[in-house]
Amino acid sequence: MSPLSREFTANPYRPWPARITSIMDLTENEKLFEMRIIDDSVREAFQFASGQFVELSLFGVGEAPISISSAPSKQGFIELCVRNAGDVTGALHKKQCGDIVGLRGPFGRGFPFKEMKGHDMLLVAGGLGIAPLKSLINHIHDDRHDFGKVTILYGAKNPSEILFRYQFDMWKHRDDFELILTVDEPDDTWGDEVGRVTRLFDMIDIDPTNTYGAICGPPVMYRFVIDEMRKKGMDADKIYVSFERRMKCGIGKCGHCGVGHQYACIDGPVFNYWEAMNLQEAI
Amino acid sequence: MFFRIMDKDRLPDLVAGLSKGFEVIGPVAKGERFVFERIETPEMLRLDYDTTLLPPKKLFFPPEEQMMRFRVADNEVVDDEVYAAPRVIFGLHPCDINALMLMDNVFLGEYEDPYYRARRESTMLIGVSCKPTDECFCNAWGTDEVHWGFDVFLTDLGDRYFISVRSVKGAELLDEFVATRDADESDTAAFQQHTRNFKNSFTDDLDTSQLPLLLDAKFDDPLWDRLGERCLSCGACSMVCPTCYCFDVTDRLEADGKTGTRVRTWDSCQFTQFAEVAHGQNFRESRASRVKYRYYHKQWGYLSKFERVLCVGCGRCARACLAGISPREVVTALEMGGAS
Ligand SMILES: Cc1cc2nc3c(=O)[nH]c(=O)nc-3n(C[C@H](O)[C@H](O)[C@H](O)COP(=O)(O)OP(=O)(O)OC[C@H]3O[C@@H](n4cnc5c(N)ncnc54)[C@H](O)[C@@H]3O)c2cc1C
Ligand code: SF4
Ligand code: SF4
Ligand code: FES
Repeated sequence: MSPLSREFTANPYRPWPARITSIMDLTENEKLFEMRIIDDSVREAFQFASGQFVELSLFGVGEAPISISSAPSKQGFIELCVRNAGDVTGALHKKQCGDIVGLRGPFGRGFPFKEMKGHDMLLVAGGLGIAPLKSLINHIHDDRHDFGKVTILYGAKNPSEILFRYQFDMWKHRDDFELILTVDEPDDTWGDEVGRVTRLFDMIDIDPTNTYGAICGPPVMYRFVIDEMRKKGMDADKIYVSFERRMKCGIGKCGHCGVGHQYACIDGPVFNYWEAMNLQEAI
Repeated sequence: MFFRIMDKDRLPDLVAGLSKGFEVIGPVAKGERFVFERIETPEMLRLDYDTTLLPPKKLFFPPEEQMMRFRVADNEVVDDEVYAAPRVIFGLHPCDINALMLMDNVFLGEYEDPYYRARRESTMLIGVSCKPTDECFCNAWGTDEVHWGFDVFLTDLGDRYFISVRSVKGAELLDEFVATRDADESDTAAFQQHTRNFKNSFTDDLDTSQLPLLLDAKFDDPLWDRLGERCLSCGACSMVCPTCYCFDVTDRLEADGKTGTRVRTWDSCQFTQFAEVAHGQNFRESRASRVKYRYYHKQWGYLSKFERVLCVGCGRCARACLAGISPREVVTALEMGGAS
């Protein structure tokens, strides 16, 4: 038997070695990892859109799909905000700065940044849903003059689960971003809002004809947030949602990520809400 | 396409000839049933088979296969070469050839799958005509015919084969290994008669005219709950299906813990954990939702991308199902108004 010829780059299942160049503890269960693909030409060719994801590969344990948290405007590295939820993510949490992991991607459809440009933005995140939205928020930040009013609503269960609090605490005082944080279960340190993220809609003022919406959070959150956006008068086709589904390949083959008649990995994970309304069991 | 005629008693010559340069695989008897296996001697080849337990997909997308070998210390791939010997699969029915073409759309489309591709490229396909069994409903999808996707196709005319030659390689093989002659008028007439008889031998014409519209319209039909109550979630339907391609990926460490292999194995949307994500959220927790998804994806999800249904009517899933669930029953129930 002879091996058939195959280009080195031709195997979409083969992860690229990447080095962890920084690790930051965000909460008890979440860490922010900065990673650099080791191969120069691959690293330089790695272009992505906010909302896209990578398959993080730890040989011996497995792979997990993780959204890219850093902005496409920052090149040469990516940031992944990862919750310790099981085998792969748990093993990643044990890694040290300088350790080597594997990355495949970027995969999927992200947020339509070009289309969103020139408009107001309303970004709503629940819990870990801030991970992909953080990329979009930072991208908008780096391109701030191209956007109108930018409103960010972010809710978590309790104050210790608010991610990127160091950055958001600073942003609360900026007048080019309206940022409102809320938690279900406040503690003594909490000076922001209390209750579900949907409650915050009473506090904001948006121009529905000129605003794009982006939502990412736990599955139960979507319907309620979309209802609020629709009540504000926003069009269904100006709202974008990002879905989490089980994924084993990221490239439309393994079948695990089916949502309605589509696959979240290649047709999403970011979907236009108008399209998502036509996906059975999506929301 | 051009046509050749081969006398039936020449078949062993062809098989023996092919065996010199290729691994020859074909239907062989296993108890009462048939399986695709290596043909060691020409007599093993049973072109009179009805269907096989597992479809030929196992030869391109094995139940379990190594994707790559890795080293843990530096997270590096040691080897991801695909080894594929030159093969001939002898005796595929039209449904199974059509099924491979449906698989090609997935594995050879965007993000080409190198494992599937290597096996596909190293394999020649020889088709053979068939007789419909009670479970077959390929005629409902038009997959009882095959126009391309094979190298040569043998139509059984009793004492001789009417051979459709599709590829250059197929023509070369015939030239090299077996005596054939041009088809004359009487051969063509016999071929037409055969085709007519074949088409008439389907006793049942499954009505699929309202699919896939009904799958969305009847998404909440009680039919799905009734099927869910019967289904055992065993996944047999997916395993035996020539068009089901879902898989799982796992890493296996060697005893030393330093190296290992990443393998993929057949998976099924009928298994409970198939759509489960972290924190116990499961997007298809109920059996009813999983049975429904199998049909929804085959008759609408796949179709929305590739304009074909992901079923060739081979009937294998109906034969394999201990609960007696069959596409014919499901499609009929949908078309008839949900009453099963
Ligand atoms: C597009 C996308 C983006 C994501 N972005 C992030 C992110 O930015 N940060 C983050 O922390 N998490 C993210 N996730 C979730 C993350 O992929 C899962 O938490 C992770 O796969 C769990 O794997 P594990 O090996 O650690 O857990 P396991 O030990 O495998 O299992 C723990 C639980 O996770 C479920 N699970 C297993 N494999 C998968 C899988 N492939 N996909 C989803 N669930 C799975 C299991 O059903 C089980 O309930 C994202 C998921 C998707 C689909
Ligand atoms: S073979 Fe039958 S019982 Fe088993 S999962 Fe398929 S439909 Fe359900
Ligand atoms: S769904 Fe059933 S009848 Fe259709 S191709 Fe698969 S096994 Fe054959
Ligand atoms: S993750 Fe494999 S098909 Fe989407």
